[in-house]
Amino acid sequence: MNINTRKVLGYAFTYAVWIIVTIVTILPVYWMFVISARSRVELFNAPNLIISSFYTQNYTNIIYDRTFQSYMLNSVIVSTGNAVLVTVLALLATYALSRYDLVGKDNIFFTTLTQRMAPPAAFLLPLFLLYTQVFAFGEGRGRWDLYDTQIGLILLYCVFNLPFAIWLLKGIIDGIPYELDEAAYVDGATTSMVIRRIILPLAAPGLAVTLILSWVFAWNEYLLAATLTNFEARTITTGLAEFVTVTGTNWGEMAAVATLTLIPSLIVVAFAQRYLVAGLTFGAVKN
Amino acid sequence: MRKTRTGWLLLAPSMIILFVVGIVPFIYVLYVGFFDWNLFSASREMNFTGVDNYRQLVFDPLFLDALWVTIRFTFFAVVSQLIIGFFLAQMLLRDFPGKSFFRTIHTIPLMIAPIAIGAIWRLLTIPGFGPVPFLLDRWFDFDFNIGTNASQAFLAIVIMDIWHWTPFVTLTMLAGLSALPVEPREAALVDGANGWQVFRYITLPQMQPVVLTVLFIRIMDGLRTVDEINMLTNGGGPGTSTRTVGIHIFRVVFPQTDYGYGSAMSLLTLYLTIVACWFLFVSLTQVRRR
Amino acid sequence: MKKLSLLVVVIAVVLSGLSIVSAQDMGIDSAWWETAGAPYAGTVLHGVSESTPPSNYVKDVLAPMFEEMTGIRVDLETTSWDQMYDKAIKDMEAGSGIYDFVYIEQDIIYGYLANDYLVNQTQALAAAPELAAPEFSFDNFTTFIDYFKNADGDVFGIPMEAFVKIYLYRTDLFENPDIQAAFEAEYGYPLAPATTHEQYRQIAEFFTAYGEANDMELWGTTVQAASGHPSSFYEFFESIAPTFGVYNWGINMENWKATVANGGSMNSDTAKEALAWWLGNLPFAPPEATSSTWDEVAASFAAGRAAQGIVYGENAAWIATDPERSVVVGNVGVALPPLSEGVLAQAEADEGYIGYYDGGAFGLPVSSLNQEAALLWMQFVGLPQVQAEWAAAASRIVMEPTYSDPLVVAVDEATNGYFSLMKDEGYLFAGAPPFPFHPQVREVIAPFIYQAIGGEITAAEALDLAAAAADAELVNLGYGS
Repeated sequence: MNINTRKVLGYAFTYAVWIIVTIVTILPVYWMFVISARSRVELFNAPNLIISSFYTQNYTNIIYDRTFQSYMLNSVIVSTGNAVLVTVLALLATYALSRYDLVGKDNIFFTTLTQRMAPPAAFLLPLFLLYTQVFAFGEGRGRWDLYDTQIGLILLYCVFNLPFAIWLLKGIIDGIPYELDEAAYVDGATTSMVIRRIILPLAAPGLAVTLILSWVFAWNEYLLAATLTNFEARTITTGLAEFVTVTGTNWGEMAAVATLTLIPSLIVVAFAQRYLVAGLTFGAVKN
Repeated sequence: MRKTRTGWLLLAPSMIILFVVGIVPFIYVLYVGFFDWNLFSASREMNFTGVDNYRQLVFDPLFLDALWVTIRFTFFAVVSQLIIGFFLAQMLLRDFPGKSFFRTIHTIPLMIAPIAIGAIWRLLTIPGFGPVPFLLDRWFDFDFNIGTNASQAFLAIVIMDIWHWTPFVTLTMLAGLSALPVEPREAALVDGANGWQVFRYITLPQMQPVVLTVLFIRIMDGLRTVDEINMLTNGGGPGTSTRTVGIHIFRVVFPQTDYGYGSAMSLLTLYLTIVACWFLFVSLTQVRRR
Repeated sequence: MKKLSLLVVVIAVVLSGLSIVSAQDMGIDSAWWETAGAPYAGTVLHGVSESTPPSNYVKDVLAPMFEEMTGIRVDLETTSWDQMYDKAIKDMEAGSGIYDFVYIEQDIIYGYLANDYLVNQTQALAAAPELAAPEFSFDNFTTFIDYFKNADGDVFGIPMEAFVKIYLYRTDLFENPDIQAAFEAEYGYPLAPATTHEQYRQIAEFFTAYGEANDMELWGTTVQAASGHPSSFYEFFESIAPTFGVYNWGINMENWKATVANGGSMNSDTAKEALAWWLGNLPFAPPEATSSTWDEVAASFAAGRAAQGIVYGENAAWIATDPERSVVVGNVGVALPPLSEGVLAQAEADEGYIGYYDGGAFGLPVSSLNQEAALLWMQFVGLPQVQAEWAAAASRIVMEPTYSDPLVVAVDEATNGYFSLMKDEGYLFAGAPPFPFHPQVREVIAPFIYQAIGGEITAAEALDLAAAAADAELVNLGYGS
């Protein structure tokens, strides 16, 4: 076998693998889209992968629905708010964990991670009480509490996003040579200047990944949002669940909601693709 | 190292938020776990029973069953993801036309809400109009029904999880592989090592921290999977064959309103997860020190 | 922000062409409501309910109508049963005052009453005559309202939906002369809706074979046997077991025991026979039966995939009339479920029942901060004038006169008599047993039913295990000793 044949074979193998992976990845999503284009009666026929006619009502019913619009808006606000908050806090926290000699640093790090491990169901009761009784101000009808507010969800999502973000950023900030900070401090820079002028630009790919993944995780969260909101701050995943669990057979509209839910995430990912790889090192590899 | 006061100040906002929405509820759950408390019991009272809930849990067949399902599910899913993800990451190391297109498509499942993933896979596998059972029946005369057959249902949730999370593993592995120093590999190739030997004796040891990290993250998240399985198998059927601990706790706490027992169950599960992850964390720290 | 959302609403209403029926059109004395509602204008009432057609009608039609008259806005959150239940009890238990009205399914009222979550509406209205609408009376309701009364006869919930779970069959198949002849030749009696379990099984066998022979996607029966979901538990304990003469889930309400050894009947031979019969229908059901919850059963029937089935009555109307969702429009018959000998007599003597009389009401939590406005709203939902259209839209009937409304009569004809059956034979059906611990015991028993559906254990083993688990959980809950 000469070099050329080997090269061609190598390419052929690579493409074969990736075409298969792509098909396997896309088919389920495509099928969801197919379902979203069918009326209920059409679904009774044998499965057919080809979209011959488009039953637009599944989409129009939802898009013009006031509730759906507000769910979508809430999702955007909550995930964006949470992603920004998490990224900023994680940057500060990670800088502290990376650069300062804090007592019990490793334990702090691991403890934050354990927050992500808890099975969520049992924690909903204390969270409900916390949001309705503890963080409640005023009395009677003028009362304000964290329950059913966007800020409530934004804070809550820190529980699973912040530990992950700290972990992600830890390796990246550890990888930035300490001498750079030192030099700046010698020149009279403050901590805030060091973080803004040195760490921020060098950690940018990691921060981008943190922002994106936090956003996606927040966008996709269901159980907490379902329990801790009811009218004002409900997110789109709870709307999705309403379609699925209750009108169990209204698959078309459910698939349409799912498709619409997916679009913002896809846009984010398409734009952020290159950062995803650059930032996902988790500090496992020292450059 | 710098003045620690500033360090604590920088750390404070994160710690305060995590304390309020993480540790405080945790303490409450810990407290409730020592009580016999069901809102719809005859007495409705919280009765302090010490560690009775935990004692009962150790012999509760439904809980142990759910735990076993969860462990098996996590094991099969995570091992497959590691193998497939590593393989795909290797294939993305080389440049080829269309690489970023394939990689972008590959990332899609990562972006979908777990609850939607469950719904999608339900649409795929539902007997009657799902294409999977339909085609298996037509092409191979094979009877695929996740409502009836426990092992098929289990297989379905594992495959769904592989589909969902392999992209994450691939990307992380790719990040790790791209950052590896190339000199040792080149040196080995010059010395006449073949591809397998390079992989086995050079790449794999170098990748150990990455592999451990990915394991950690995937085990941690795999053990608490609820939404997508709940949606796909309608609450963990057939029987209890796909009822993971997360689903079981959900059923005990929500419809059954058994807050005392459910809290104890949560904490025991959390404890087991922490122990498993602690081992990984320690070995990870050691590997990194070496 | 408010202006923007208002604009969105206006556009949405215009685009969807939704015309809001005005109260006057229905003959409601809007002057009284305006006066009564004036002090509370601007109040927003929050409610939570299961997302079902009757609730959606409340949200989309009744709430706007009420707001137009009184200036009281009504926001109804419609969600899944689990979520609805969880949120309602968390709110009422903690007294946080989030909800001003909650959906009470007939089977959870006993739990809510035991925990004093609800306002006594009879007393509340008597104490505030200025809030009592002249057009409203608790006496307008069918006897279904009795489920929402306490021992003194005071009402705690305004019925908003009620159905019976009935036997549906395909008239086009059952009345086809060729099929009739073939059936009679094989089984020796004429084909008709089954009156015994044996007949039901034979019809199921026959149509499954018929479907196979003619290369049709047709099976003999639907089974609501989702193998990990409470709906299968309910089909067995509330719709199948009673037809064999096993009532109240087989729990002895004298001593709160389920096992035969302790005086219950959950694992009695009859109960085991019933479960074995029900599981034995699975081979004659379409393959999705073991994934079917409440409405998937209806969807299978609507897709023409089953010749007969036990289906929740709220689906009867759309299956029989809505070509957008059903391919068996005009081919649906209704009948009483097949029964064991003596069960009908027991039901007629009020010593038993033949199936599930399902439904729910709106209750007013003690923790509500807007009780006066909520009382007005409750009465509005219980006005006789709003019932007929609601019934036609969602197949639910809670008042006797609704049956004779032309709108309802038309639906009745299309279903070959679903409403007539409910009206005339409804007394044979019953709601869930008065357990204050309903979902608690269900969750403990259900896994064994799921395992039996999956074939991991036999019917007899399942019920032995279930009964033992029920006994233990009842003691745990403080019932029996």
